[in-house]
Amino acid sequence: MRPSTIPNNKKIARPLIILFWLGVWGGVSLLINREIYLPSPIRTLRAFIELSTTAEFWSSIAMTFIRVAIGFLVSCLAGVILGILCGLNRFLYDAFNPLAITIKSTPVMSVIIIALIWFQSGQVPVFVCFLMCFPVIWTNVVQGVKQVDKRLLQMAKVYKVDRWHILKGIYIPSLTPYLMAGIITSLGFGWKVTVAAEVLSSPKYSIGGHLYNAKVYLESPELFAWTSVVIVLSFAFEYLFKRIAANMTNHSH
Amino acid sequence: MIRLKNIYKAYDDLVVLKDFNIDFEDEKITALLGPSGCGKTTLLNIIAGLEAYQSGTIEGLADKTFSYIFQEDRLLPWATVEGNIRFVLETRYDEETIRTILNKYIEMVGLEDYRTYYPNQLSGGMKQRVAIARAFAYPSDILLMDEAFKGLDMELKIGLIQSFLALWKKDRRRVIMVTHDINEAMDIAHDIYILGGRPLEIKEKRAGKNK
Repeated sequence: MRPSTIPNNKKIARPLIILFWLGVWGGVSLLINREIYLPSPIRTLRAFIELSTTAEFWSSIAMTFIRVAIGFLVSCLAGVILGILCGLNRFLYDAFNPLAITIKSTPVMSVIIIALIWFQSGQVPVFVCFLMCFPVIWTNVVQGVKQVDKRLLQMAKVYKVDRWHILKGIYIPSLTPYLMAGIITSLGFGWKVTVAAEVLSSPKYSIGGHLYNAKVYLESPELFAWTSVVIVLSFAFEYLFKRIAANMTNHSH
Repeated sequence: MIRLKNIYKAYDDLVVLKDFNIDFEDEKITALLGPSGCGKTTLLNIIAGLEAYQSGTIEGLADKTFSYIFQEDRLLPWATVEGNIRFVLETRYDEETIRTILNKYIEMVGLEDYRTYYPNQLSGGMKQRVAIARAFAYPSDILLMDEAFKGLDMELKIGLIQSFLALWKKDRRRVIMVTHDINEAMDIAHDIYILGGRPLEIKEKRAGKNK
């Protein structure tokens, strides 16, 4: 009985939990009773509905999405290629590791400000997203390559399997779970830093730009509405990739 | 004929092989019988080119290809039965040839119904049968086996040895097998070298039951 009842309870419990926290939010906003500090969930929803009727809203989301997608895909590509090379070659790893550690410890704000000096406003968020996601993916891929089962490599060597098929047949599948973990971690992260970079660089169509304007004009309901857009999108992507990851690693254990 | 002459192999201070000589005849199954840890696996790995040796010569190995049935199945956990055998064929054959070979050897080991199964869906004996099919499907001149039937229960072991011998009769090639089980050696091999000591030495050469 147990295993089957728990997921069911979870399914019922989840909306209730969400409702509970929305209730807390509503209660606190009633207590404060100042829209500027904390607009109520209903006020936020109204702002959201108003915003969603404008074309600007959708183009802003689309443009931010494109920036995240480009930054993220480039970091995946670079992370996988350089991660495999560095995982296979000790010298390359030693050469690259300090760079990855440095990027990881650099405050996001410093990266954004430096990028503001280097690039045009639309490119800043893309670059920041790339730079913040890249080390996470790289580190995970390197780890995945180093965890490859040496006995399988020995088997491939006896059977004189060529490099390309060893890469495709052994390295890629065994690093896939590591890559997926890196992707899920860096994706949520990517959304946040991209929007943060947009706040400061204010490209024409961007979620971050609207956050900044809402702050300047003290439009708290809009601020909250835009923020929830980021949260929902970030959740949606994480969910999507977790599903993909679960499908891809189905048989590996 | 493969001839190993005066092979010397040491790991730091530990001398495993010293002035070691042995011959392996064509199209015969030779068993190397000896206690665990006497250096049999090292000898096998040297023949397969997986380990280096410090001095001595090996004749008759130029351009030879090997199959290897390891102690563990060494299957790719993310590939199906077909995918695992395909993995060692892809480098040298086109798709059509691969299919023909796959069909032939999967059938020979009786796994037709399990082609699309992953290793974690198979029993230990079935996994080892996939490893045996992989070894025969690969066009090798020499088949090496390292305790290939170890850790399986008696019934399973006898079944596997029978399917191995059936395969070998249809597809004869030189086999060098390492084991510590005298019955296994007697059942499978033509020649048996009884090994011992450290450094490794040949104590005795006997004929097996396989004629």
